[in-house]
Amino acid sequence: MNLAICLLLQDDHEITIEELETRYNTSVTKGLTSTFASQVLERDGPNELKPPKGTPEYVKFARQLAGGLQCLMWVAAVICFIAFGIEVARGNVTAFDNLYLAITLISVVVVTGCFGYYQEFKSTNIIASFKNLVPQQAIVIRDGQKNQINAHQLVVGDLVEIKGGDRVPADIRIISGQACKVDNSSLTGESEPQSKTPECTHENPLETKNIAFFSTTCLEGVATGVIINTGDRTIIGRIASLASGVGNEKTPIAIEIEHFVDIIAGLAIFFGFTFFVVAMFIGYAFLEAMIFFMAIVVAYVPEGLLATVTVCLSLTAKRLARKNCVVKNLEAVETLGSTSVICSDKTGTLTQNRMTVAHLWFDNHVHAADTTEDQSGQSFDQSSETWRSLARVASLCNRATFRPDQEGVPIPKRLVVGDASETALLKFTELTVGNIMDYRNRFKKVVEVPFNSTNKFQLSIHELEDPLDLRYLLVMKGAPERILERCSTILIKGQELPLDEQWSEAFQTAYMDLGGLGERVLGFCHIYLNEKEFPRGYAFDPDEMNFTTSGLCFAGLISMIDPPRATVPDAVMKCRTAGIRVVMVTGDHPITARAIAANVGIISEGSETVEDIAQRKRIPVEQVNKRDARACVISGGQLKDMSSEELDDALRNHPEMVFARTSPQQKLIIVESCQRLGSIVAVTGDGVNDSPALKKADIGVAMGIAGSDAAKNAADMILLDDNFASIVTGVEQGRLIFDNLKKSIAYTLTKNIPELTPYLIYITVSVPLPLGCITILFIELATDIFPSVSLAYEKAESDIMHLKPRNPRQHRLVNEALAVYSYFQIGRCSFAGFTDYFTAMAQEGWYPLLCVGLRSQWENVHLQDVQDSYGQEWTFSQRLYQEYTCYTVFFVSIEICQISDVLIRKTRRLSVFQQGFFRSVKTHPKHASLGIMYLNSTQLVQWWFVPVPYGILIFVYDEIRKLGVRRYPGSWWDQELYY
Amino acid sequence: LRKGSSSEWRDAFWNPRTHELLGRTASSWGLILLFYLVFYLFLAGMFVLTMYIMLLTLDDYKPTWQDRLATPGMMIHPKGDQLEITFSVSETESWDRFTQTLNTFLSPYNDSYQVQMNDNCPPDQFFIQEDSGEVRNNPKRSCQFNRSMLEECAGISDRFYGYSRGQPCVLIKLNRVIGMLPGKNGQSPYVTCGAKREDGDKLGPLAYYPPNGTFNLMYYPYYGKKAQVNYTQPLVAVKFLNASVNTDINVECKINSNTLEAGSERDKFAGRVSFKLRINHT
Repeated sequence: MNLAICLLLQDDHEITIEELETRYNTSVTKGLTSTFASQVLERDGPNELKPPKGTPEYVKFARQLAGGLQCLMWVAAVICFIAFGIEVARGNVTAFDNLYLAITLISVVVVTGCFGYYQEFKSTNIIASFKNLVPQQAIVIRDGQKNQINAHQLVVGDLVEIKGGDRVPADIRIISGQACKVDNSSLTGESEPQSKTPECTHENPLETKNIAFFSTTCLEGVATGVIINTGDRTIIGRIASLASGVGNEKTPIAIEIEHFVDIIAGLAIFFGFTFFVVAMFIGYAFLEAMIFFMAIVVAYVPEGLLATVTVCLSLTAKRLARKNCVVKNLEAVETLGSTSVICSDKTGTLTQNRMTVAHLWFDNHVHAADTTEDQSGQSFDQSSETWRSLARVASLCNRATFRPDQEGVPIPKRLVVGDASETALLKFTELTVGNIMDYRNRFKKVVEVPFNSTNKFQLSIHELEDPLDLRYLLVMKGAPERILERCSTILIKGQELPLDEQWSEAFQTAYMDLGGLGERVLGFCHIYLNEKEFPRGYAFDPDEMNFTTSGLCFAGLISMIDPPRATVPDAVMKCRTAGIRVVMVTGDHPITARAIAANVGIISEGSETVEDIAQRKRIPVEQVNKRDARACVISGGQLKDMSSEELDDALRNHPEMVFARTSPQQKLIIVESCQRLGSIVAVTGDGVNDSPALKKADIGVAMGIAGSDAAKNAADMILLDDNFASIVTGVEQGRLIFDNLKKSIAYTLTKNIPELTPYLIYITVSVPLPLGCITILFIELATDIFPSVSLAYEKAESDIMHLKPRNPRQHRLVNEALAVYSYFQIGRCSFAGFTDYFTAMAQEGWYPLLCVGLRSQWENVHLQDVQDSYGQEWTFSQRLYQEYTCYTVFFVSIEICQISDVLIRKTRRLSVFQQGFFRSVKTHPKHASLGIMYLNSTQLVQWWFVPVPYGILIFVYDEIRKLGVRRYPGSWWDQELYY
Repeated sequence: LRKGSSSEWRDAFWNPRTHELLGRTASSWGLILLFYLVFYLFLAGMFVLTMYIMLLTLDDYKPTWQDRLATPGMMIHPKGDQLEITFSVSETESWDRFTQTLNTFLSPYNDSYQVQMNDNCPPDQFFIQEDSGEVRNNPKRSCQFNRSMLEECAGISDRFYGYSRGQPCVLIKLNRVIGMLPGKNGQSPYVTCGAKREDGDKLGPLAYYPPNGTFNLMYYPYYGKKAQVNYTQPLVAVKFLNASVNTDINVECKINSNTLEAGSERDKFAGRVSFKLRINHT
């Protein structure tokens, strides 16, 4: 809204040229003086968009270190240092464990931080590579002399010249121009070229014709103008800075992880406090109880989880990159999975972004042309004589030409000089007739009248191919109704028939039909000029038009459209089954927008708008029940008059929405409205104008080919092939990673209990410590990382693209059921560890009952003769080694249970047998590295087999759980035990 | 907003409309608690069962593994708080506790008691009492170690074990390990003590009791406290005859045997024992 106010204050387009000259101290003939220009340059700075205030690299890195989990680990590390400090102060020199723990915690945070930073850095590099490094040149008149200088040297008041093909170097007030047309699509999203003339036609600078904007492209014609804004003060610059004002939304996965950290922190403090009280009650000193408290809190932090999540996400990011989605922000991967609304651009994303001939009407029939990208479709019947005439008119009455040296390039991909419709016709005729350049040479052009907005036609006169035939051929194309006015006959099956009422009506119907498809229709006609009246050498005058321009023979209609990409209808269908709404937001005409929407399935077959129903039932629009209309097309003009409640209502009531003729601000409004309705919104865009909406969206998707730098900067993800279908792939991957992360986290959490209980038992029952914290770290950061990452490769259990998007408020990553099942059921199977521990102790001579209460003797450094159950005496070191053996034994038990755990976590509902037991093992040998880890870990084979029954128990129990969940959906069992 | 969230919290704890405590109704709580009761009972049962099976596999007389005890540890008596013996000759109360612990420690070694309970075995050979197959040869007998064998350090002739005269006695024992045979060819292991590092000249002459500081072979092997209830652990007494006064002396005693491995560097008490001695004299 600020933008509008800024613009209203500026009246550079309304004042006279003289006023303009005095305001900017310039001259419309000589331009600025060089000395003054350099002064202004010094004052205003160079004419370039400042890159959005890039976050400094160290801030980016610091941000990687300050996530939810990271903070938890920092706190844990600090606690460890404090505990270490206390231990040292008390003279306990053996207590280096806490120091190691603190150091490890910090290195985990830093290493994973580096990882995330690297990922961000890499994608930033990809973006940087898109930037056009060739400096733009501009023709400027200074001191009355034409110079070519770097565009960023331009200043306000400079007199510049632009011509077809140039990028407008700054905001320019047009002083003089000839047939100048500008493509404003990067600013407003309109794909129609806008003509620019010196007259002020509108008080709004955005609408008036005498201002050309920075970064738009001049398509044809020439113009001279005075620069009125440079650099960041241009309209584009202001929009770009608007984007930086839009706050970044938190990604759903960040919210999930925060939620998870809340749970973990809460449980850790709960457990810690409980055992603090217990320890005090048992009679430990306050300081000792305090250390217990800290140790429990630290033991509860899942150190490996951070690495697991980061690795899982970057694996998916890598997989997506192979499918042409570059992810800038790792968390965006998952966001895509929870997307429930996609606001998609039309041009380039849903469509091929090139005008293509879609239909022809001749011989009173509509013929469909092949619009596929690779010309694999069906062609129409080309045997008719009328077609030959029509093709000749279309080939000759065309000023577009191929750029040279493109023989190897397929025709649809060749570069052409000329406007969109002519390009379409040129390619079409090249495909159907062949070698148009040669064909045109055979019919030598005598004179031509280019298209202009008053005539609305274009004509040219040619000599005939046959040197004996001395007639001239006049060919004409233009707006169909204007063409028809000038015709008196019509070509049907090669026969010239008089154009009577009946044919007129047939023409009207065809014209309406094609127009209704959102296509741009052109009419074609020709006439052989009378040899006597116009003999060879007749001086045709294009301005006077001293030749026949009426009573022509109508050949046919050709209509063009920017056709949808071949993969899009499928992709839209997939979105629909996946419960994702696709909303089209475009700057194009409502009719075109609707036609494309219907074509790709955004508006499904049989869906009607309110207007359609009104027309069908022949009742006024107001009487139609809005809920009956599934589809709705809203134009920017209507949107401007709607309140936000009305927009919310419209979005709620009509599942199929198309917004046409929308401005950048309106795109932002639409996104906000969707978010108000609780949707996770993905927005695609390419122009600078899209960047605010891209930023506002939960996930902004920029186009890699067509996208502007501003859009890429604002986006979270970049589609390298600009293809809508890639988004759907992204959604699929996002959903899969959510499922798999859930499995990974469940797996990771499970071992927290067997890691924590030894400590709790140690405190309460005073047995020798069964599991040391270095061992815990080894489990968390070495052996368990690979299996939990391997779960990220797991295939989907069901067709995830047939489910509704998850409701972020109900389907949490870590829900109660998952935590409870992991902690209190599977985790409790850590009895395995105690069985194994007591076995190892008993076999060495320490019976379980003796172990109870043994702690103070066991840990006394000066006692060298502690008696075991057999009466043998042990030194401190011998006991310590026995304790280490216990750590190993406990570790092995945990790992044996974790083998079972990783197997059961492969699925949440299906039986592991249904999913395929070792599928992911085969595809990813990382799984197998687990086994090697174990082999290295210990040679104490005799204690490996003790926990095996527990491993089997875990597996069998989980199979029973899954069976119950599958058999009795919705039952108590399902509710309590499905996570 | 805050009001809303606080009532939300209260509802989460106790919702009066649905009668839900922490999001569950009474019957729901009942079911879930029942489930966990059954689940944990089962787990506990499994735990008890595996422990029981494990205990069944154990031998009552000999532990399954003894790999940690290859080199037996050594220990001194009295041991002070941190293996340091510090006292003033003139202050009776500073060594009183040492003599008292020694008295207590040595009471089972009284000659009368030993004669009554234990055998007089032939010296310099192992006292082997094998089981014949499944038939246990229990209880196994033990050999006498009479207090009087410690002579000067027996506390009989000198009640204060030399502490009152600045010539303290320290008893050294070798840790019990079942089945250990600490020598061969009739050569008994013996203890030697020395000062560590620069304390060499402070130590002065030593006297060992029994002579040469030997642990006679007849006290080995040990059969465990269940089979050999009255086992009497042999001792060696070291008397510091003329140790320097008013200075810390780091003493290390070690076992010399032709079968026992020397303890590794990591265990300071396997096959040796270190302690600090300080005699204050004004």
